[in-house]
Amino acid sequence: MPSDSTTPPGSLGSKILRRGRRTVLGMDPQGLIKNFFGANSSIAIIVLVLIMVFLLREGAGFLSTYHHELEIYRKAGLEFCDIADTPLKQQQSMASALRRALSMELEPLVKNARERRDAAFLYKRALDEKSAEGAAVFENSLLFTPGEKNQIKSEIAALTPESIDLPPTLQKLAAEFTEKDREAKKTFRAIIEAEEIFEEATEPVAEILDELKTHATETKEAANEFHTLEVGRQQLLGAAASAHGAEKDEFLKEAELSRVDAPDYAARIETILEQRDDLSKALGEYAAAVEEAVKPLQSDGLSPEAAKLIASVQKALPTHLNHIQNAARNLKAWKWDEPVSFWRAVSSFAFGTGWITNSSWQDFYGVVPLLTGSLLISFVALLIATPISVTAAIYTNQFATDREKELIKPVIEFIQAIPSVVLGFIGIAVVGDLIKGVSQWEFLSWIPGFPIQERLNIFNAGCLLAFMAVPTMFSLSEDALNNVPRSYAEASDALGATKLQTVFRVIVPAAISGILSAILLGLGRVIGETMVVLLVAGNRIAIPDFGDGLGVIFQPAHTLTGIIAQELGEVSRGSSHWQALFMVGILLFVISLSVNWCARTIAKRFEHSKA
Amino acid sequence: MPESVPTAAKPAPVVQVRDMDFRYGDKTALHGISLEVESHRVTALIGPSGCGKSTLLRCINRMNDRVAGARVSKGEILVKGKNIHDADVDLTQLRRQVGMVFQKSNPFPKTIYENVAYGLRVHGVKDKTSLDEAVERSLTQAALWDELKDRLNAHALGLSGGQQQRLCIARAIATMPDVLLMDEPCSALDPIATLKIEELITQLARNYTVVIVTHNMQQAVRVSDFTAFLHLGKLVEFAPTEELFTNPREKLTDSYLRGTFS
Repeated sequence: MPSDSTTPPGSLGSKILRRGRRTVLGMDPQGLIKNFFGANSSIAIIVLVLIMVFLLREGAGFLSTYHHELEIYRKAGLEFCDIADTPLKQQQSMASALRRALSMELEPLVKNARERRDAAFLYKRALDEKSAEGAAVFENSLLFTPGEKNQIKSEIAALTPESIDLPPTLQKLAAEFTEKDREAKKTFRAIIEAEEIFEEATEPVAEILDELKTHATETKEAANEFHTLEVGRQQLLGAAASAHGAEKDEFLKEAELSRVDAPDYAARIETILEQRDDLSKALGEYAAAVEEAVKPLQSDGLSPEAAKLIASVQKALPTHLNHIQNAARNLKAWKWDEPVSFWRAVSSFAFGTGWITNSSWQDFYGVVPLLTGSLLISFVALLIATPISVTAAIYTNQFATDREKELIKPVIEFIQAIPSVVLGFIGIAVVGDLIKGVSQWEFLSWIPGFPIQERLNIFNAGCLLAFMAVPTMFSLSEDALNNVPRSYAEASDALGATKLQTVFRVIVPAAISGILSAILLGLGRVIGETMVVLLVAGNRIAIPDFGDGLGVIFQPAHTLTGIIAQELGEVSRGSSHWQALFMVGILLFVISLSVNWCARTIAKRFEHSKA
Repeated sequence: MPESVPTAAKPAPVVQVRDMDFRYGDKTALHGISLEVESHRVTALIGPSGCGKSTLLRCINRMNDRVAGARVSKGEILVKGKNIHDADVDLTQLRRQVGMVFQKSNPFPKTIYENVAYGLRVHGVKDKTSLDEAVERSLTQAALWDELKDRLNAHALGLSGGQQQRLCIARAIATMPDVLLMDEPCSALDPIATLKIEELITQLARNYTVVIVTHNMQQAVRVSDFTAFLHLGKLVEFAPTEELFTNPREKLTDSYLRGTFS
């Protein structure tokens, strides 16, 4: 390098030197070149520091903004409403389980009668519309005996345009269905009643809550308006402090004009607190009604699926009732003027289970759903990529002939050159359909989660990310294996070990820390990847349902990287949402940093043991 | 530890090299070598750099098979009367029979115990007691047992250079080989460690047949019973050590020993 002060003769630097002793900015050409290179290398460090400072500044603002929002959330009484509202949301899933169980049971009983009725009516319509196709469907139908078919045909043929009544057979079919339906519903009256009670029992609570929610929202809006004006007023006062003369008076007058009183939280909250006892009582009544409704439910004589649903409702009930009870207790203990601790803002970001934005009620920035998505996808990717890349590296390094090496290494390294958006494209167009198609094969139905509902899911994204991580992991693992001293293999051979024994007892263990660090660096690549997950992961902001067991990987999810890419362009600069996205960025940064740090530490241990 | 007492009668040669040519690709490295290594004796191979002494050593356990294009093109090598290039020779068994210690100590990055037990493990020994016994016997024979018996689970790479080399010797003799090949085992060691290894080699000859390559003629005098002098891929002279060094038959040997060429 010409930057070196002891430039060998004939190098670029000395040639420039010899041409003339000109100096620029007080430096001779050699010093200039040296400083230019030095400056370039420090740019990377400076930029990194700037990025960290910027992220931290934006993120730090988030916590205080969020804390302020949570304070209003409490003072305005929104929190009070949510205490009662949140447990009620479970009720919906229980009610829907009951509905599904019911339709599962009713369906087989009434199916035949309904299909017979529908087929006959469709045939009549086909004749009315002179559709040969519709008529043919009836002719080929297996629902009727030939005698019945002839009867229906002759009756319809006998119809005159004036006749209003339906042909008697059609009437009979309709009556048959009604009868069957009634009978079936009688058999499962318990479920029907339970379901109805579930629907109705919430109504008194909901009624009170609706009223309270409207009131609370109004308070919140007033508080937000006050906050905005207050910030403006403070700015005006600040400007006035640094201005002089008429300008100063102008600012002060304007500030005085924009003065508004802070909303009277104490007075407004009274309206809500008045209803405290009614709400508690309504909740108690609801709990009693629901408990009573579920009690007579029995799984005897039900199909296994329906029995399972009923059992799930029965199992969920005690927890649900418990939550309701807790809610009633919390309502009593709730104080509107209790200060919100700063820790609350931190914890509801770090451990919050909901990422709810642009809500008319209250925004929550809980990072858990995104973190779970990111981690699950990375985990799946790692699980797929590790065996592939490590075994490929072992094969290439230890078993492959030179010609095979020349083929394998460039091809795997070429994967890195594929733009990730193209991979995302493939994920949507090919992998998604492939996974969904395969999941519908009958003999694979034992796999949890199969057949899958969503084409875009964690597994799909994991597959593509694994593909992206393979080059990194392969190359670094191969390097690690290559760094194992040849003398180890020689010693092992000389002791009579076979090739496989040498590879698996000496070479791979000697390279294991290098391989581990390769895997970690692959993980770093996977966690930070954005485009593929944005396109392929399905982008559902919710904690995946781990109740499915391993099937959880076939659910859609959203990720830390994806949410930033998706939302940052749409939020207003400086808002709490904007700041929350920066916090997510900081979190990502910290994760990547620690993964890289782990990888370096492990790799360092490897170099140490090689000495 | 009972040691097998060498029989008084002159035993049959353990390694016989018969008129062997060895080639790396097109280049002939060894020409018509014939050599008989006596049992329970130390045989030294000396000669200037590039004379083929290491190649000859590596022929005996077929380590040269690892090199592409390397092969014995004429003649044969017999270990305990069996031609080692016969089709029915199991290479792993041959190497169990003919152990090897390298120029630079190369213990595996494992514990001391695992290093010594490695040879037995790859030959399918799983029984803990026999492994323990073999480790103790090998370390004792390598004069390491007293130093290391309390830290068998320490990492082998934490040992000193001399200890590492002796550990490699212990590893090589754990499988009870008939022949122990040593390729300049002291060239990377300081004088004190060298002395220890040399003492060890003399002791090892009680139980094993040792073939050692050395560039240090004093060492050959100190440790060996027989010496072979090679030059440009040819065996110039092979005689009992004392005879070769005091009264060489060949002029070439004489001038090499005097240091008039190298």
